[in-house]
Amino acid sequence: MPARWRYILSEAGKGLRRNVLMTVAVILSITVSLTLLGATLLLRDQIDLATDDWVDQVEVSIFLCDGETCPAITPEQEDQLREDLEAQPVVDEVLYESKEEAYERFTELFQDQPNLVEAVEPDILPASFRVSLVDPDEFLVIAQQFEAYPGVEDIIDQREVLTQFLNFTRIVRNGALAVALIQLAAAALLIGNTILMSAFARREQTSIMKLVGASNWYIRLPFFLEAVITGVLGAVVSWGLLYVVVPRVTEGLSAQVLLMPFIGVREVWEAAPVLLASGFGIAAFSSIIALWFFQDS
Amino acid sequence: MIRLQNVTKTYKRGGDDEVIALNDVSLEIDKGEFVFIVGPSGSGKSTFMKLLTREQLVDSGELWVAGKDLNAIRSWKIPALRRDIGYVFQDFKLLPNKSVRENVAFALEVIGKSRREIDIRVPEVLELVGIEEKADAMPHELSGGQQQRVSVARAFVNSPRILLCDEPTGNLDPSTSVGIMKLLDRINRTGATVVMATHDQHIVDSMRRRVVELENGVVVRDQSRGVYGYAG
Repeated sequence: MPARWRYILSEAGKGLRRNVLMTVAVILSITVSLTLLGATLLLRDQIDLATDDWVDQVEVSIFLCDGETCPAITPEQEDQLREDLEAQPVVDEVLYESKEEAYERFTELFQDQPNLVEAVEPDILPASFRVSLVDPDEFLVIAQQFEAYPGVEDIIDQREVLTQFLNFTRIVRNGALAVALIQLAAAALLIGNTILMSAFARREQTSIMKLVGASNWYIRLPFFLEAVITGVLGAVVSWGLLYVVVPRVTEGLSAQVLLMPFIGVREVWEAAPVLLASGFGIAAFSSIIALWFFQDS
Repeated sequence: MIRLQNVTKTYKRGGDDEVIALNDVSLEIDKGEFVFIVGPSGSGKSTFMKLLTREQLVDSGELWVAGKDLNAIRSWKIPALRRDIGYVFQDFKLLPNKSVRENVAFALEVIGKSRREIDIRVPEVLELVGIEEKADAMPHELSGGQQQRVSVARAFVNSPRILLCDEPTGNLDPSTSVGIMKLLDRINRTGATVVMATHDQHIVDSMRRRVVELENGVVVRDQSRGVYGYAG
C-alpha cells in the first residue's frame, strides 16, 4: 500500500479509536434511523405484494336472498340476474357460489379458529354471485343496476375492505418514514459534530499539514473516511437486524394470516443496497459540510 | 522571489473600526537574499508573513511569491505554493506524539513523497541541522534550541525556495539563538531565500543583513547590511 494511503487509513482509524464512545453513539444512531428506514421500505414491499395479490381476487359480491330476511330468490330470478350480469359490458366474469361452497371457503379461511367455525351453521351463509369487473372502479354501475333486482339481498364492493386496510398500513408506513427521516437528520448532525470534534482535536496537525503544502483532500480524507466507516457500519448493523427479525416475523404471520402473501428474505436482501447507500450518503454529506466549515475557520 | 506592490491589508475590528496592518507597502526580495523584518508588535510583521503563505489575501495591491500571483492563484494550487515555502514558528509546533524523525518525515509524507525518498532525505536534513543523534527522541525530551532545529529541519526537508521564520529565536536564550542563526545562515547559503520576522536586536545587529523595518503598517526603513535600531 502506498505511504499516503497508509497514512490516511491510519489517521481515520485513530479518529475512530480516539473517542470510542462517540463512535459507538454515531453507529447506533445511524443503525436506529436506517432500521426504521429499512422497515418502511419493507412495509411498502409488503403492501405492494398484498395489493397485487388482492387486486386479482377482489370482486363484487352479490348476495342472494335465502328467505331469512327477504323472500328467497327463485331459479328464474337467478337465471335472469346471471344473464343480465353477463350482458353488462363492465363485467369480466361471473361465478356462482352456492351456500355449501361459501361454507367450505369459510371453514378453510378460519381453520385456525375452530370456535368461529363451530358457531356458524352450514346453511347460514348466503349464496352469491361473485363478479369480477373489467375495471374495478365501475363498482357503482353494478350496484345501481342490480340492487333493486328481486332476490338480491346486498351488493358489496370487496375493494372497500381492502382500501381501508391499505389506508391503515399507509398511515403506519408514513409515520415510520417520518420518524426515520427525523432520526436520519439527527444522525447527520451527530456525524457532523463528531467530525468537527475529531478535526478540532487534530487541528495542530492539520494546520502544519496546510503549511507544508498538503492538498486539501489529503487533509480531509481521513475525517471523511472516519465518517463514512461509521455510516457504513451503522447500515450493516441495521441491515443485519432486519435480516434476523423480518423473516421471522413474516413467517410467524403467514402461519396465522392466510389471507395474503408475505415478504421474506429476498425483499430484505433487496433493501441492502438502499441501506448501504443511505448510510454512506448521509455520512459523506454531513462530513463534507462539517469539513467545509472546519476548513473555513 | 517575493514582490509586493502597493499592498494594503486592513482588519475589521467590530463595526466600522478598521485596523490597517499594511499600508501601501512596496518591497522586493530577490532569490537567495536574507532579510530581517523588524518592528514593534502590531507593526504588520505577522500580517506580512500570513500574506506570503496565502493564509490571507491582500485588500489591494499586487503580491508575487515564487513566481505566482497570489491574487489570481486558484485555491487548489495553494498547496503547491506552500511546498515552495518552509515555515518556522516561534513555538516550534512539533507534533508531541511523533519522534524527531517522524515529525520531519511527516512534512514529506503528507505531500505524497515516496517512502524511499523520505528515507534518504530525512537523515540528510537532520544532519544539516545537527540533530541526527536525537532522531528517535520525542519533542518533550529536547531542549528549546533542539526543538527549533527540528522545526527548521521540517521546514527545509522539502528543499523549499523560501524559508519564512516567524520569531524563530523568540523562545530561546541568546546563546541557543546564535546556533539557530548559524543554521539559518547555512540554509541561506544553499540558495534558499530566508525571511525572518524578529524582535531580537542582538541577532539583527550581529548578522549584518538586509533589514526592513515596519511601523504602523508602513516600511520606515529598508537597509542592506543593517542593524536593528537607527544606528545613525
